[in-house]
Amino acid sequence: MTTAEELQNAYVDYVLTHGAKPKSVYIFAKENNLSEQEFYNFFGSFAGIEESIWTHLISKALTEVQAQEVWAQYTAREKTLAFFYGFIELLKSKRSFALYTLKDKTTGTPQLLREAKNVFEIFASDVIQQGIETRELADRRFFSQRYKDALWVQFGFIINFWSMDSSANFEKTDEAIEKGINVTFDLFERSALDSLIDYGKFMVNNGGFKQKMKF
Amino acid sequence: MKEQKSIPTSKMQRSARFVATGFKVGGNYIKHYSKKLFNPELNTDELNLDNASDIYQSLSELKGSALKVAQMLSMDKNILPKAYSDQFSLSQYNAPPLSGPLIVRTFSKYFGKLPEQIYDHFNIKSTNAASIGQVHEAILNGKKLAVKIQYPGVGDSISSDLKMVKPFAFRLLGMSRTELEIYMTEVEDRLLEETDYELELRRSIEFSEACKDIDNVVFPKYYPELSRKRIITMDWMDGQHLKEFMAGSPSVELRNRIGQALWDFYNFQQHELRAVHADPHPGNFLITAEGKLAVIDFGCIKEMPDDFYYPFFALTSTDLLNDKEGTIRAFKELQMILPRDNAIQTETYYKAYKEMIFLFAQPYLYDTFDFGKTEYFDQLYAYGEKIARMPEFRQARGVKHFIYVNRTNFGLYNMLHQLGATVKTDTFKPQLNQNKLA
Repeated sequence: MTTAEELQNAYVDYVLTHGAKPKSVYIFAKENNLSEQEFYNFFGSFAGIEESIWTHLISKALTEVQAQEVWAQYTAREKTLAFFYGFIELLKSKRSFALYTLKDKTTGTPQLLREAKNVFEIFASDVIQQGIETRELADRRFFSQRYKDALWVQFGFIINFWSMDSSANFEKTDEAIEKGINVTFDLFERSALDSLIDYGKFMVNNGGFKQKMKF
Repeated sequence: MKEQKSIPTSKMQRSARFVATGFKVGGNYIKHYSKKLFNPELNTDELNLDNASDIYQSLSELKGSALKVAQMLSMDKNILPKAYSDQFSLSQYNAPPLSGPLIVRTFSKYFGKLPEQIYDHFNIKSTNAASIGQVHEAILNGKKLAVKIQYPGVGDSISSDLKMVKPFAFRLLGMSRTELEIYMTEVEDRLLEETDYELELRRSIEFSEACKDIDNVVFPKYYPELSRKRIITMDWMDGQHLKEFMAGSPSVELRNRIGQALWDFYNFQQHELRAVHADPHPGNFLITAEGKLAVIDFGCIKEMPDDFYYPFFALTSTDLLNDKEGTIRAFKELQMILPRDNAIQTETYYKAYKEMIFLFAQPYLYDTFDFGKTEYFDQLYAYGEKIARMPEFRQARGVKHFIYVNRTNFGLYNMLHQLGATVKTDTFKPQLNQNKLA
């Protein structure tokens, strides 16, 4: 009985050994003693496998960090940091594959990471919600809905940084995570930005600001 | 910066020069140190605090090694005018702490385990921050441990940080690039060593083993199996820092005992091991409840090569000073007198340095020496004042080894002075048997 995970591993192995995707699902399935039909029970296409591997990595990283004793005491900021450290650590074992799948440059979120993004965003929204409830983060109309997007941007940045990182043990990536996530969360906290928005709203709502401006 | 032709007059100008401590050597060096050694009452109140803040600001934007340089400059409150030192010492508390997850990450990276799997208890909040790392409390098998964790990427950034601090140093010290380069390289080397926790662990074990028979000096036990490239685990030491200790008005006997332990610790290393714990920052020592001196940091070790050791200690501990030719030869070996100096310059430097060495060697001339008496420090101070007025000493002189050796010895004298200790100075004497000058 083959499992989805075994199929994923077989696929990774194939791609890395041959430097290319299998010629067809038929051939790949056959090599793994499956019929083509059985393959489709697990995945719709090779692209589907690649997507699922990324998604799986994120879920696994989440399960691992959430199992740590300290997790419950962590603030939203720390939970996010912990996730990224855990994720990058897991990714180390799949680095070649990750680099292989990431090499096609696309703008925006590639199809490859669509599903992964969903999983990540569920996590990010939870953490942000928790942060807002504990008043660690500022609740801003419109903006707080977008916090998770900012974290996704960080996700993209960190993955890119990591893919180019040649420092031993990817130590530079650790620094990029520590600094990047801290900056992002500093922005989420109540700050001058809020006062500025507050002030802006006040000016717009009071004294016919728009009409009186000469330009 | 325009070249200085006149004596710096305002307090501000003078104080800017004191900051040179970490870098300047020879005559310049003792000038600054003597200021510091001397006196607590140096009036610093008029110093413009804003200026200190500005400098601090520019420094605090730098992390890691630059912070370490700032710490070196702030080594003692007395040497720097108060406003400066208050600002500089902030640098010791300013480094952003590592986040909890990064600590966990560091452990899982180097041990493949979480801190709670290694220790029975691990406090994720650090108790002390240092410029290149932080200290956490842990408990294992009922024993309280101190776990030092280094910030990631510190080693890599040292060279680039120092490059950033250089222009600042040129301005502050009024030194030329080439002059400063030699000293900066020396500082850089030591700093890089300090980031190497594997080296630090090895040295800590070696030195605490080598020094274990010195009376009243204790060391934490180090745990190699619980240490890695970025982590050092050692026993937690309970005790007071020098300042708190003195605040409790300890008895003369106790102060002398601690002073003696300090003296023995340093001179044993200098003369027996030829390598010395070169960071006599009061933060690196604790005085335990049993009245012993605990040494808690071996990050900075200065090795003394023969071509420095022999000429230098021959000057302090033999009759060499009575022999003018021999003394000049030693000064030349130590690059305190340079080949390009003419006869008049040679004479000037000879006199000035002879006086300096004579003062420096005072504690070695007698069997016991009272570091508490202010006359000695007054003399050093007066000498410093005099040197400060001599245009010949605007430039740096002396081999690079002076930086850390002077820092060590004057740091030691200064701590002994603060303790007001009378010390037997003949316990570990310079060993000059192979002395090629004799």
